[in-house]
Amino acid sequence: MSPEIRVVVTGAGVLSPLGDSPAALHRALCAGTSVLGPVEGFAVDDLPVRRAVELRGFDPARYLGDANFRPLDRTGLLAACAARLALDDAGWSAERVAGAELALLVGTMYGSVKTIAEFDRRGLEAGPLYVKPFDFANSVINAAAGQTAIWHHLRGPNSTVSSGNASGLQAIALGADLVRSGRAAVAVAGGAEELCLESFLSFCRAGALGDGDETPRPFDSRRHGFALGEGAAFLVLESATGAAARGARVLAEVRGHGAAFDPSQGREPAGGAAAVARAVRLALAAAGCEPTQVSAVSAAASGARNADAREAAGLAAALGERAATVPVTAPKGLLGECLGASGALQAAALLAAMAAGELPGVPGYEAGEAGFPLRSARATPTSVDLALGLVDAVGLDGPCCALLLGRAAEA
Amino acid sequence: MTVAPEGRRRVAVTGIGVVSPVGVGREAFWAALLAGKSGIAPVSSFDTSRFKVHLGAEVRDFDATPFCRRLDSGELGRASLLAVAAARLALADAGLDPAALAPETTGVAMGTTSGEPLEIERFDDALLGAGREGVDDGLATRYPCHRIPGQIAAELGFGGVNIMLPNACAAGNYAVAFARDTLAGGRAEVMLAGGADAFSRITYTGFARLGAIATDRCAPFDRERQGMVPGEGAGVLVMEPLEAARARGARVYAEVVGYGLSCDAHHMTASHPEGEGPARAMLQALADAGLQPADVGYISAHGTGTATNDRLETLAVKRAFGDAAARVPMSSVKSMLGHTMGAASALEAAVCCLVIADGWLPPTINYQHPDPECDLDCVPNVARRQPVRVAMNNAYAFGGANASVLFAAAAP
Repeated sequence: MSPEIRVVVTGAGVLSPLGDSPAALHRALCAGTSVLGPVEGFAVDDLPVRRAVELRGFDPARYLGDANFRPLDRTGLLAACAARLALDDAGWSAERVAGAELALLVGTMYGSVKTIAEFDRRGLEAGPLYVKPFDFANSVINAAAGQTAIWHHLRGPNSTVSSGNASGLQAIALGADLVRSGRAAVAVAGGAEELCLESFLSFCRAGALGDGDETPRPFDSRRHGFALGEGAAFLVLESATGAAARGARVLAEVRGHGAAFDPSQGREPAGGAAAVARAVRLALAAAGCEPTQVSAVSAAASGARNADAREAAGLAAALGERAATVPVTAPKGLLGECLGASGALQAAALLAAMAAGELPGVPGYEAGEAGFPLRSARATPTSVDLALGLVDAVGLDGPCCALLLGRAAEA
Repeated sequence: MTVAPEGRRRVAVTGIGVVSPVGVGREAFWAALLAGKSGIAPVSSFDTSRFKVHLGAEVRDFDATPFCRRLDSGELGRASLLAVAAARLALADAGLDPAALAPETTGVAMGTTSGEPLEIERFDDALLGAGREGVDDGLATRYPCHRIPGQIAAELGFGGVNIMLPNACAAGNYAVAFARDTLAGGRAEVMLAGGADAFSRITYTGFARLGAIATDRCAPFDRERQGMVPGEGAGVLVMEPLEAARARGARVYAEVVGYGLSCDAHHMTASHPEGEGPARAMLQALADAGLQPADVGYISAHGTGTATNDRLETLAVKRAFGDAAARVPMSSVKSMLGHTMGAASALEAAVCCLVIADGWLPPTINYQHPDPECDLDCVPNVARRQPVRVAMNNAYAFGGANASVLFAAAAP
């Protein structure tokens, strides 16, 4: 164990309805581009909600070249393509990867629940002898991690991470730990989540998608629920010395992270806020930083009625007076709730914000409830000298994760 | 040999909680395994008449209500119920009152293969029956696999790190490894770590389609072996810093001294033909613990009972252990428990701890015909009295994820 190993980010890859690079995603978030629209992937005409933030025209060949994609389902393809983009961005060519043992951490909430459910329905309708072995291979929740490892020949520690909406950020935290402890020289870590009938219909029934098809308004007093989205994002993490030795460009340093759980599973506002606050405090303590040093926050807020309030209260508790002045962005207002991919998408977008010196706003935000503590929240972008960015992930039912990214120059 | 590097705390296993096809609770579980008792029987939870195979390893007559004191057991999926029961049993076994633990520094790490697959089955039954109108919110609320460690923490009031590592049939080992690092690094004071899975027609259909399920007996390492038998269950270990365990006078089953993780990156459902990935995980675990192959006194095999797994696993152990492979006993409790999927390596981690604490090796039952390609000592048919200082738990998963964890008698 070498506590002195510093973990840096050397690449980032993004696949999202708002763009397929961190920079493109950042520009769309700053511009307030909304692609919330009618779902095309499955029939929704009989449902109370019909819109989502869907990744349309996704062509894996654009990222992986012309190949046989049949063994992979959509979640596996999203993960494999975003991991490719991250590896390319970091300068990890296929030849270089083959000589190493890269770790892979895939955050996901559902894996592909569509693949599993369709496999089951085929067994029911056609009989158990007529299911497809390909589909069974993808019916484990870690299928995307296995498929991505095979595709890119990632032979190090391989783990799927599920912490609900915090999965993607928790995967990055675990990847950073594997590098910091010397168990992996390099980790590809992030998240992937697909939009499908199974989860969409169930979230409809849970009433989580609010009162319909209006654009979500994170943190705003008029918020009415979240939109579901989909996508994938991965970061390449390596030791500062390893990155320097190969002359890699360093995007940022992972300064610290923290995780906590709300045992009321979202039922008690105070308990939920306390869990958010604990995760943020643990991240600050791990980084050896004070709240005053936090330059910006990428919040998990999605427009969910209760979860947004818990997050705001938790951030206020952990950041103290800084909560009133810290610039805040809430990418889920435009990206939708991408579940297990959300935290990784937030982290990748924040890296681009760091490079650009500009933080996107909170989409559709006009005013929070009385006493809303994040007083500098606004709908439009802000110029920020982003030396230390806080990425916050908050689950609907308990898991919380916070991660601090420091600008490379400060590393 | 088991001195932690500077600044890292040594980690002990002080509690074992088990819900398995051969019994509920550590004592019933261990007595059954040493007696060579099988939990495998014709499937009772769904109709298998459309299948050519009928064996399963189910947890029968399981009543979750005594274990759900804070939560409503009717709101939890079956894997969560099995897990909550195992968690409560583990804490009781460790002599810990959950209400007396500091909530913020008590965490949960679990593994699973399928999470709550019965919720998908309910979704599909509704969709094919009444249509979309009949579908409820189960896939949004009860299904996601992070609910399993979440429900444990909710039932017991724990607010520390809470994570699901759904790495299929190696998941329990990943959870134990995660908990070990979390405790060693000072990010928690008590961790519950293990795995859980519920018996499901989805899993059964898949393994049946692969032709992997045994028709009438599960006989790992036997030349005439027919395959594996899907099962269910939950295993949870209580882990805490060794120093804290000793300070409170706790019984220490074993110390977690190292682990290794690797990925074949070869094929989703077939192992690497030369056992390269599994051997790498074993060697990493040994290096992590500062041990040599000859130090290992027992291996809990992945040992599913399929033709391929058992042959390649034997090859991998030889590759990693060299000459020492011939001298290390390696049994498969899956011969009795079936393959409990995400619970398997957690239950087998419990076995490793009990082997060290108790000095008995559980057998591989149903062993009749020696196989030259599986020629290691599988502790055939009868438990063996043998002191063991170091035990290795091997697990291999769909997706090529391999995990080996090393347990050792806790030296002063």
